[in-house]
Amino acid sequence: MVEILRHGWLLARKDLLVEFRSRTAILSAVVFTVLVLLVFNFGRDPTAVAAVDLAPSILWVTFTFAAVLALNRAFQLELENQALDGLLLAPVSRASIYLGKLVANLIFVAVVEGVGLPLFALFFNVAILPVLGPLLVVIALATVGFVAVGTLFSAMTARTRFAELLLPVLLLPFMLPPLIWAVFATAALLAGRPLSEATAWLRFLAAFDLVFVTLAFLLFPATVNE
Amino acid sequence: MPENTPYMVAAYIITAVILLAYALLLYRRTLKS
Amino acid sequence: MNLLKAGRWITALGLVLLAGVYVRALAFTPIERTQGVAQKIFYLHVPAAIWTETAMILVGLASVFFLFLKDPRLDRFAEASAEAGIVFGSIVLTTGPIWGKPIWGTWWTWDARLTLTLLLFLMYVGYLLLRGAVTDAGLRARYAAVLGICGACLVPFVHLSVIMFRTLHPQPIILKPGPPSLPAEMLVTFLLSFGVFTMLYVGFVMQRYALSLLREEARHA
Repeated sequence: MVEILRHGWLLARKDLLVEFRSRTAILSAVVFTVLVLLVFNFGRDPTAVAAVDLAPSILWVTFTFAAVLALNRAFQLELENQALDGLLLAPVSRASIYLGKLVANLIFVAVVEGVGLPLFALFFNVAILPVLGPLLVVIALATVGFVAVGTLFSAMTARTRFAELLLPVLLLPFMLPPLIWAVFATAALLAGRPLSEATAWLRFLAAFDLVFVTLAFLLFPATVNE
Repeated sequence: MPENTPYMVAAYIITAVILLAYALLLYRRTLKS
Repeated sequence: MNLLKAGRWITALGLVLLAGVYVRALAFTPIERTQGVAQKIFYLHVPAAIWTETAMILVGLASVFFLFLKDPRLDRFAEASAEAGIVFGSIVLTTGPIWGKPIWGTWWTWDARLTLTLLLFLMYVGYLLLRGAVTDAGLRARYAAVLGICGACLVPFVHLSVIMFRTLHPQPIILKPGPPSLPAEMLVTFLLSFGVFTMLYVGFVMQRYALSLLREEARHA
């Protein structure tokens, strides 16, 4: 168990080092996030629609795009020079490979969200500080949900012909429930509703995460074994 | 409510069309193979 | 091919009986008081919906067993069931809005059950797209199995959301704890229709399975 964690972290570090040395992916993801926020801002009529009504949707669309961007590049790293084979031959369990990818993707998306959230609060004048704690919990739970499933699926789509198109298509049905629950929870929080109203959605998110992270660990070996 | 009838008819027709179309598709595909 | 012939006969019989159900539903079943004639869409919509979900669950089960047993017959069945699921799913997603328009006043609403039926349909599409995108047969079967299992696991979350939140969609009257709250004649029509849809599912799957088998044989020849 400890081995899996240790190897997983080593593998995640490798991915993150590659990522942050070149910095191209993370920068384009951040820039993209800012662009999306700006477009949403200029796209609405501030006199007609209050920011707080659209805010949850805008936030989550932005985060979803960021997650898909992160996931698309996840296994592409391994396509060059048959690095995936090297990884599979290494004396690490399949679980640690998945864990490594998952952690690396989560950190990548977290960085993008870390930039996006304050900008979102700034551009749309949304008071997130009073509900920051619960909001971060919602964001964390939903992100784990779709990154866990997305990491699993990207292992399968990486070697297909229209990988970047196929991954979002496959992922969509699995992202929608956590996304919907996250948007409802965010809306409840931002509207200042009592915390108890958001807890049902949080419970769904937590259950989803539990089920699908476990499932992903169990199924990942099937995607890479010969 | 008689004004509902067109909807009901449409639904019944579409269902029949979908089922017949797929049955036909399967029949033709298995004829060729 | 015996399976193919049997499948064809079952499908043909199912279609004939479907005509019988149509007659019974339209001419020999009472009209519901509050919804009028449009309520009769129920006799097609609900059996199709039940089979759309059941087909997905079966794809999931076949996928689980396939990953353990590696039997290609399970993969072939999963593929066949997924296609049948898309067919029934199309029926649900077309008859649903057609029913909704006169009764609720709107073609579509983003309530839990509709949203998640659409999701299920998208999953089937994704499943078949994935199968189409992977060229290696062994890899294709394994990948499809992984996706099938994930899809089947999403279904309980769908149901939980629907049951826990009162929505515009009618609450379940057949598949709920306690006796069905449907008058006898309507119940009979419904059960007959459900039987016919079951027969069609079986016939479709048998034929589609046989088709997979024929294609594989043709490739090896």
